[in-house]
Amino acid sequence: MALRLGREAAGARPRAETVRWSRRTPVLMILPAVVVLAAITLFPLLFTLRLTVLSWELTTGFPPQFIGVQNFVRVLTQDPRFWNAMANTGVLVAVGVGLQAVIGTGLALELNRLRRGRALVLSLLLIPVMIAPVIAGFQFRMILNDQYGPLNYLLDALTFGRVRGFAWLADPRVALGAVMATDVWQWAPFMTLVVLAGLQSLPGELLEAAEVDGATGLQALRRVTLPLLLPVIVIGVLVRVMDTFKLFDIVYQLTGGGPGNVTETIAYYTYLQGFKFFSLGYTAAMSFVQLVVITIVAQVFLHYQKRVRGGAVA
Amino acid sequence: MRWNARALCAVVAALVLALTAGTGSAPTGPAAAAMQAPKEQHAITWEYPPKFSNVTVNVVGDAGHNLAPYEFWRDHFPKAGITIKIIEVPFEGVYEKEKTEFVAGSGAFDVVTFYPAYIGDFASNGYLEPLDEYMKKQPDSVWNPHQEDVLPPFRELYNKWAGKTYALTIDGDAHMMIYRKDLFANPAEQAAFKARYGRALAPPQTWDDWLRVGAFFTRKKGQQLAGQTLDRDFYGSAEFAKRGFSFAWFVDRWAASGELYFDDTMKPQINTPAAVAALQNFVDSLKNAPPDVRGYGYDELRDALLNGNVAMVVQWTDVPKKGADPSQSKVVGRLGYGRVPGLVIGGKVVHRAMMPVGRVVAVAASSKNKLAAYWVAKHIAYDMSLEDVSTAFTGLDVNRGVHFKHPEAYSDFKTTAEAASYLDRVKEALADGYPEIFIPGAAQYEDALDLHVNKALAGQETPKQALDAVAKEWTAITDRLGRQKQIELWHQALNSYKIAGLVK
Repeated sequence: MALRLGREAAGARPRAETVRWSRRTPVLMILPAVVVLAAITLFPLLFTLRLTVLSWELTTGFPPQFIGVQNFVRVLTQDPRFWNAMANTGVLVAVGVGLQAVIGTGLALELNRLRRGRALVLSLLLIPVMIAPVIAGFQFRMILNDQYGPLNYLLDALTFGRVRGFAWLADPRVALGAVMATDVWQWAPFMTLVVLAGLQSLPGELLEAAEVDGATGLQALRRVTLPLLLPVIVIGVLVRVMDTFKLFDIVYQLTGGGPGNVTETIAYYTYLQGFKFFSLGYTAAMSFVQLVVITIVAQVFLHYQKRVRGGAVA
Repeated sequence: MRWNARALCAVVAALVLALTAGTGSAPTGPAAAAMQAPKEQHAITWEYPPKFSNVTVNVVGDAGHNLAPYEFWRDHFPKAGITIKIIEVPFEGVYEKEKTEFVAGSGAFDVVTFYPAYIGDFASNGYLEPLDEYMKKQPDSVWNPHQEDVLPPFRELYNKWAGKTYALTIDGDAHMMIYRKDLFANPAEQAAFKARYGRALAPPQTWDDWLRVGAFFTRKKGQQLAGQTLDRDFYGSAEFAKRGFSFAWFVDRWAASGELYFDDTMKPQINTPAAVAALQNFVDSLKNAPPDVRGYGYDELRDALLNGNVAMVVQWTDVPKKGADPSQSKVVGRLGYGRVPGLVIGGKVVHRAMMPVGRVVAVAASSKNKLAAYWVAKHIAYDMSLEDVSTAFTGLDVNRGVHFKHPEAYSDFKTTAEAASYLDRVKEALADGYPEIFIPGAAQYEDALDLHVNKALAGQETPKQALDAVAKEWTAITDRLGRQKQIELWHQALNSYKIAGLVK
């Protein structure tokens, strides 16, 4: 008996060790990634959080001073330029991303019907997505140029000289629209790609069933295709919304935030505070406010996406 | 269905190709010309230093024609045992790039080119090497940049901080008026002007004249101008109305009032009745300018004149050189130059010309090759400076006495007499000079001013609202940066302005 117990005990130790190691192994495997992630994500985040409570003006050379929540108070209540930039960004998000979703979905539906040449058209469509935004901005600066731009030349030719010399980037009424048009040109194909991928994964039998039931093309689109696509579209839109909050390059190239500040986006204004004025504490506070806003927007989208996915599955 | 597919293919291909391939770079100058090193004048005597042991000197500056001298004289540097590495940054990004590297202590640059309004920021934070000891080194012909020859505004304001020399001027910027003298001399135009306004047609003396003459020369396509039928719209004047430096064209209109940015206690003086009137004049002038003028920076403003689209502009003093170069100008021989219009004060016209931007070179305190870096800076700022400021292939402007003594070096002008006349006008412009804000925080103060000037130009604010907002923001900036310290720095700047003869 004693011998058996001893043998069992001897066998139990390695088993327990094996179990312990098998539990530890995944943790040890993940640990380096966690450490790296903490170093590159958490540390900057915490460092930036610390900056938000400091007044640190690099132009003066004074050491940083603790000022509590004053930077946040200034962002939220004393800086109309911040809210103007937020409003401009809001317009670009609401209208610009909306247009990208509509155009992208429309192109994807048409592309999905193509039997030949789809790969070619898709490749051509994706060229704008592959161009660096700063280059896209430069191209549109040329296209929209009042004196040399092809757009005004075409308008002049097509309207027999009635519409001439329109100042796309210098007229405060249309400058934000010009920025938006550039962004839409560049990113609508991304929405096409996302929606096309969604379309190609739709179960064909549902559309066949709708056809058998006598649904017209439009009815099938409205009642079957779009509801099934909605979760994919929502994710695509969310990606674009988050990206538009960071819209900088195109504004930098096209307008520099002008005329006045009608095209100043929140990313551009943050850049000015950080890298032109070197107000580090204030820039950090602005960044955190933006982070909170983007997180709330993302949560709303994700919540909606879950709902529509549930609805689509049900 | 098949039609749809083909149509879609065709439309997509056409759109993408049109927008990606069909947008070659538009000309920013009338014609691109091969950049050649100017002919060496040998008007300045200099010698090579004892050969360095193959050191690399990193030079940073704003991209484009103002870095051309390093290309012109690329054969000189190896003879001194120096390899030059150029780091180009965008015009608007010079300060942030250099400041970021300085703060990070990266030691990435040896020679830094920057706009002198930032000398207070860079020198007071210890980013720059004081040059006084280097300038005294012997032999004189190798090391002395002859600062006594530099015009006082640049020597005192651009180069010094707290009594020490930290930088050497390479570009002495000031504004001047440039106009189409052929239009002003045309008898039909003179008669028409006399009939309309009851006075002789002449280049504007005051800013009110500017509006009047601008309105007179603004014509529609199909109308007559100097006996020719216009094949496109023509405009009386144009402005730098884009974000960035539009504030300087407002200051041109305000400075003659004799007011300064702040009083002794740093209370902003920017929203006085004279300032509001000046901004109103700027806003009104846009009626006589091309419709996209709010998008005009230096390039667009220069091209509007050199392409023959406008009658007059206020611009930096390098533009006449470009206007005399047939590879860059369609109006060669048809440009006249004069003082920036002024204001009538006590029955006399007082002229002031803004001195925005400018360029200096300095040695970074973190440089590992300070002596070599100093020689490179001195070689560009002194030894080869006459060649660099006299060619139309740079945007660098005269800044030393010697630059005025050799009109023959300005070979783009048809005759030496024409070049001499240009230099006389530049001398007048410099005598009218009005400085930027030379204290740490200049970027913030000037951005706030530029933003609201631009909002007034865009019709977002009235001139009064705009300048009241600037005053409020300037007060907040001063408080944030430390009022007492800013007052001290402002007094120091005022002193420099006085020594340079820019204020009384």
